[in-house]
Amino acid sequence: MTKALGSSRLSRRRFLTASASLGIGTIAAPYVARADDPTLRITGWGGKWGEIMKAEIGPAFENEFKCKLQIDSAFPYLPKLQASSRSAPIYDVMHTNSNEQWAAAEMGLVEPKIDPKLVPNLADVYPYAISDKIVGVSIFTSAIGLGMRTDKGYGSVSSWKELWDAKYNGVRGGYVIPVNSLGQAFLMMCGTLFGKGQLDLDAAYTALEKLKPIKIVDFTGAMEKMLLSGEVGLCVIHDSGIYRYDGQNQPTDFVAPSEGVLSLEQVLTITPGSKMKELANAYVNYMLRPDVQKRLAETVWYSPANRKVKLDAKYDAKLLTTPEKVSKLIQVDWKWYNERKDEIDQRVNRIFRA
Amino acid sequence: MSDAATRRPNGLALFILPSALLFALFFLLPIGLMALMSVLTGNPVVAPKVAFTTRHYARMFDDPYYLEVIWTTIRIGLVTTLVALAIGYPLAHWMARIRSRTGHALLLMAVLAPMLTGIVVRTFAWMTLLSDKGVINQTLISLGIISQPLKLMYTETGIVVGLVHIYVPFMVLTLTGVIGRIDERLEQAAENLGASPLRAFIEVTLPLSLPGILAGSLLVFALAISAYVTPILLGGFQIMTLPILIYQQISANFNVGFAAALGIILLMISLLLVIAYNHALGLVSGQRELQ
Repeated sequence: MTKALGSSRLSRRRFLTASASLGIGTIAAPYVARADDPTLRITGWGGKWGEIMKAEIGPAFENEFKCKLQIDSAFPYLPKLQASSRSAPIYDVMHTNSNEQWAAAEMGLVEPKIDPKLVPNLADVYPYAISDKIVGVSIFTSAIGLGMRTDKGYGSVSSWKELWDAKYNGVRGGYVIPVNSLGQAFLMMCGTLFGKGQLDLDAAYTALEKLKPIKIVDFTGAMEKMLLSGEVGLCVIHDSGIYRYDGQNQPTDFVAPSEGVLSLEQVLTITPGSKMKELANAYVNYMLRPDVQKRLAETVWYSPANRKVKLDAKYDAKLLTTPEKVSKLIQVDWKWYNERKDEIDQRVNRIFRA
Repeated sequence: MSDAATRRPNGLALFILPSALLFALFFLLPIGLMALMSVLTGNPVVAPKVAFTTRHYARMFDDPYYLEVIWTTIRIGLVTTLVALAIGYPLAHWMARIRSRTGHALLLMAVLAPMLTGIVVRTFAWMTLLSDKGVINQTLISLGIISQPLKLMYTETGIVVGLVHIYVPFMVLTLTGVIGRIDERLEQAAENLGASPLRAFIEVTLPLSLPGILAGSLLVFALAISAYVTPILLGGFQIMTLPILIYQQISANFNVGFAAALGIILLMISLLLVIAYNHALGLVSGQRELQ
């Protein structure tokens, strides 16, 4: 009798065992419940993009397509894809900028084009999103132009060439060209501004030499901070990098130069070795859906690629939402650029070394 | 005692097996793979046709830019080591000779405190001090001492300042142990024989602490030439070092072979230094070389 009573008593060991089991069970339950769900492995940005993908867009896709979305937001993506097996790639869908997508396509790591039969929303995108300058499909774009401080009395800016004005010495901002898409696109723009066109590298190098002194950073987030802190007064930046501070009374503005704005595309591609091709195509189609495009565009200030998207007036006024506005976009020939990247990198590293 | 008995392996030697395996798996294997990748045209695991090549090394030695990057890396390493030694030696000497246990504990805490904060955080702290809108420049401008900000960041000096702050504790801790083991009575004997305190230090303490100086310098130099975060943040990509170039080759140029060749060069620099250290240590300890 005593033994029976004793065996039912809650000992410390039993309590700890039960607590541990309960804890492990609670943590593991969602994974166990979804163990059979297919997993789509994609890449994606952090920041606001990452937040909304994690909170809304990603879960909605998972519910609709009964799958699990595994998002890698730890840059750089292409070296990881490069290191993984071709037949079992680390990603099913790669989201990155156009220059990297071209490099990936050249290495055979991503499929060069998306099949319109499998992605019906492709029929509704602006021509630039599937042009011959694009691998895969561009789901959004930003306009690369100039960002400026409005509280320093610089006056109005309307041309790219004003970046070379001596009054911006010490407060001029640019990028580490070998590692930054905006920097690379800007280099091509220099060829157009001061030479025979985008491919005139000698004119571009001469123009870059004349830009010094210039503060250079490796990613746009750092440039945003430098502009906000007043470390730079005029810089190369994409419109989203300025507009995302809308409503915060920041003394900054975006300038779309009269010579045109460069296109910074957000591109999706599918890996040839993916075992989730159907789901991957469904994801690309989902990201091009007007409701998804609208939500993302109004959160991160990217211009949607789908022509049918109707943004709220505030966003519509600033983003590239009409054929007329989109026609101002200048796309870079990344295939040509990547073929000369080593040579360009060596040259610009020399130009900008201290 | 028979020969068989003396040759029997020590059972305790088995305890070294896990660390030996760990060393082989996480050090020798990656280094070996890196050496292999540096002489291949591509990755044999994913690329179908791969051949041996010397083009990655040839590229490095054909273009003076890469030699300049190597020299910049070595120069930053050397200056950082010398400054860390100049700051660390007096501090280590003080720590080794201080009588008060509380004083020793406080000094130790002061040396170790920076190590409790991450390198990124410490480097960002230096950025807030050294940038054009940073504390130093703004203070000097507000006092009317300067009209334009001094160029403190994006220079080799800025990088050295950041690296010295990070690596001085390594120098101090290495030196403290060595100086602490020097018999103080040797200095007292020298002074009793008429040497001034400075001469006693130069002729007795300094030579006896040379093994610590060499070990601390080796450690700081190796860490400084392989540093990535501090040179990239305080140098703003305008000062190119080997680790930055390696990252650039992998993340933006996707040229793993060339990055591996650069990595091997960085390793060779460190190995040459270790060999030189061994020889130097052998000479100062009266041996031809370490066995």
